[in-house]
Amino acid sequence: MAVGHGDSSSSDKKSTDALNDLQTFNAENLQSNMKVIYYSRTFLSIIGGVIAGILGFKGLIGFVFYFLVMAITSAALTAKAKFSIHSYFDTWNRVLLDGFFGGLMSFVLFWTFAYDIVHIF
Amino acid sequence: MGLGFTVGVIGVLILGHAAYSTIQYRSLLKITEEEFSGPPMEVVLELLVGLLFCMWAALTVPGKFLSVHPHSDENRVVSLPENVDFMIFNHRGRAFPSEVGLKLKH
Repeated sequence: MAVGHGDSSSSDKKSTDALNDLQTFNAENLQSNMKVIYYSRTFLSIIGGVIAGILGFKGLIGFVFYFLVMAITSAALTAKAKFSIHSYFDTWNRVLLDGFFGGLMSFVLFWTFAYDIVHIF
Repeated sequence: MGLGFTVGVIGVLILGHAAYSTIQYRSLLKITEEEFSGPPMEVVLELLVGLLFCMWAALTVPGKFLSVHPHSDENRVVSLPENVDFMIFNHRGRAFPSEVGLKLKH
């Protein structure tokens, strides 16, 4: 039986240029990879917030700590992708910047929460 | 995935224990009336270990990265779509007598 290259419903292929292989990719797997990054970043933002609260950071140094945690997360995600980003994502920006500001909100929330529990009450 | 989840839970418990130790340390400082400059060294080490455990869990639990390359081996499309062009209706089933007034049997 011939494998259909025509319209297949399971893998949405984008663009029509057959020569430029970077344009067409399996969007369903890309979305799944983005979800993995999102969960990892959110969880580590929360943990980073709790640690910043316990250590008693106040002011700017807490945000510096958040950038540090996010940088370590980006490096770890790149290592998880075995350093060949192009076989799992389409651009570098997705791995490095996606979920950054959403994580910042969670970080500040849990930072204030942990700080209040440990240092004020 | 079970192991990663357990490691994550252990990491969170370590952080909770570190928080409790810091609370006790602060109440000790209130008794001796000193300033809180930072948690003791054991707590900092404990926080670092907890962070490492949680980091490992955050990378392992959500799942693996799947390849985006359309022509790689694990992305083969092996199922035919539900295309009417390939459906056959001219088969031997037409030899059976079909009753027009068929009702559902309960």
